[in-house]
Amino acid sequence: MRLLLVEDDVMVASGIKLGLTDAGYAVDWVGSGERAQEVLATESFDVGVVDIGLPGMDGLELTRRLRLPGMANPAMPVLILTARDALEDRVHGLDLGADDYMVKPFELPELLARLRALLRRSQAATTAVLSFGPLELNTATRRACIVPIDGRAAIVIELGPREWTVLEYLLINAPKPASKDKLLQALTGWDKEITPNAVEVYVSRLRSKLEPHGVALCSIRGFGYRLEQAD
Amino acid sequence: MLRRGLRAMTSDLRNRLLLLLVLPLCALAFLGAWVDFRSADDAAAQHDQRLLRLLPALSDSVVASRVDGAGPMLLLAPSVEEFLRHESDLTAFSVRTPDGNLVLGEGWVQGPMPATGAAEFHSIESGGVTYRVAAQRTRTDAGDMVVSLADGSDTRQQWLQQLILRVLLPYLLLVCAAALAIRWAVSRAFRPLVELADAVERRSPKDLNPIDEATSPAEVRPLVRALNHLFALVHAQVDGQRRFVADAAHQLRTPLAGLQAQVEAWAMLARTGNAGQKSWSNSALTHVDEAPGAITLRAEEIEKLRAATRRTSQLAHQLLALSRADARNVDGASLKRVDLKELCEAALEGHLDAASAKGMDLGLETTSVHVTGHDWLLRELLTNLVDNAIKYTEPGGCITIRCGRRHGGTGLCGYLEVEDDGPGIPEHEHERVLQRFYRLPGTVGEGTGLGLPIANEIARSHGTSLALLAGAQRKGLLVRVVFPAVSRKRAEGSAGR
Repeated sequence: MRLLLVEDDVMVASGIKLGLTDAGYAVDWVGSGERAQEVLATESFDVGVVDIGLPGMDGLELTRRLRLPGMANPAMPVLILTARDALEDRVHGLDLGADDYMVKPFELPELLARLRALLRRSQAATTAVLSFGPLELNTATRRACIVPIDGRAAIVIELGPREWTVLEYLLINAPKPASKDKLLQALTGWDKEITPNAVEVYVSRLRSKLEPHGVALCSIRGFGYRLEQAD
Repeated sequence: MLRRGLRAMTSDLRNRLLLLLVLPLCALAFLGAWVDFRSADDAAAQHDQRLLRLLPALSDSVVASRVDGAGPMLLLAPSVEEFLRHESDLTAFSVRTPDGNLVLGEGWVQGPMPATGAAEFHSIESGGVTYRVAAQRTRTDAGDMVVSLADGSDTRQQWLQQLILRVLLPYLLLVCAAALAIRWAVSRAFRPLVELADAVERRSPKDLNPIDEATSPAEVRPLVRALNHLFALVHAQVDGQRRFVADAAHQLRTPLAGLQAQVEAWAMLARTGNAGQKSWSNSALTHVDEAPGAITLRAEEIEKLRAATRRTSQLAHQLLALSRADARNVDGASLKRVDLKELCEAALEGHLDAASAKGMDLGLETTSVHVTGHDWLLRELLTNLVDNAIKYTEPGGCITIRCGRRHGGTGLCGYLEVEDDGPGIPEHEHERVLQRFYRLPGTVGEGTGLGLPIANEIARSHGTSLALLAGAQRKGLLVRVVFPAVSRKRAEGSAGR
């Protein structure tokens, strides 16, 4: 994955670069919005991490220009970093086309989780493949499979249409939990008179199919479920 | 406190004024009594002189009877007759033989027998009147006799009787009247002050808004002006201090972000085992194994470093949150409808990873409810409560975030609740854990002692406060915030600013 990091603070940038490189990203780091605009005009990236408080052109302006037609990466998901945490800033950032935000200082594992979620969503839009750990869902062929990390052959998981719907919804949201209500709404496309109990039934079926492969489906009391990678 | 102090002060002043007034009044009473006594004494002396003058005349009036066997006769001298006639009911006389037998006159006019020939004066009670009695042993026409004259119009006696009525009673009345007048006058004079004290007392310690000068009584207006000036000074100072804390916390974040990013990256590398194996020749981060002066940190040391860095970052964030949550700093205009259920779900999402890392069961019990408030502040409140619950509950514990409606002081009120089954907080510590930087004795873990104070500050800026209770089965801690009912909240919101 190619990632553009736009950050003027050397300490923050080198820390992020070190961590993300270790996590397998190819990180290109630029220190100003102007430089980032030049790079973005010609090269393509999978995801951007942009600091708001840049010298010169700030991160929000960069994000706005990035989305202009004619740029090389108009659909690139952008995660904004900000030292300002008032809600106004957050909403403002998301309005201008940023996909997510994090308040500095932040924890690296969380940044990684957010980036994974961003990438999963943008990937699904382009390649129709949703992935979560070893689990891969091809939304075009509606096939689910487990791809082991050690390069062995993929294992196909047989899913019923309702199970598929539940899993797809959970996967799109992961690592955020999905509420039972939302799952129920997703299921009503199949069945008008579905009961909350039915959600539990599909979840428990999915659980028995996925858990042997290291993908856990955790219950969140009073709320719903979420996918977790069992390590 | 203030009002009670003022009460004590007014009663103090009242007593002092009373004392200052009563002392001269008493002195005046004594002076009056003395002058009165002197004039009475003079008059009495004149009376005595008169009696003394009349005694020889009386003795001359006793004439031996020409008839044998009969007692002496009385031929009153004109002066004596005039005296007896003039005030017939207050004057009397008697003539006795030296051995005490009554010869003439009234029997009761009798003092001790004078032993010598000098005149003697006595006071005798008779028929409720005190008489001044002058007695003298004289030689009369009828032989040695004791003649006595009684005069009931003696001013000295009257003075003694009238002393209380004439002198003391008026003064007593005067003192009583003065006491009442002082009481009334002092309390009336101090009423504006007492009212001002009330007004100052009623305000919350956080309220540094000026007192309305226009509605204050004219007498205390200079005081109100001075108070307002003081309020403004304190307000500016508090404001400056808060801004300083906010600025300092804000400024800290950038270097902290750098520090944390570095340490987090090392920790990740240490965990994945990539440290020292990868090298980045194109950056300053070339691995340091061969670098001179390089040291090697073990993974757990890096973890410790990371924990400390995270804690410092959290402290900076909380200081900022605290200064923002300050009731005076919160803009009343940005109040809006907040969906508590959504808030609870967001808090759950935000803490799922931390909770599952400790093997905890973090759950929700929510019903849809809206309150009027500040979205981001309430989010911060809930975050701090859930953070606390996760920090202080043992691994494997159970934490529940709740919202809904319950009966409060003003009907059905929205509430937020976070309950854990951790060690809880003993009741006698409830007040202190809401103080900044206070931590329960013996507390371990990464807390900063700011979580509950921030939550409480936010609750207060919403016109309510944190309630600390025991959890289910008297175990753990349950923190509840009950929001004022909407109508009241609105009224406060418009009146308060």
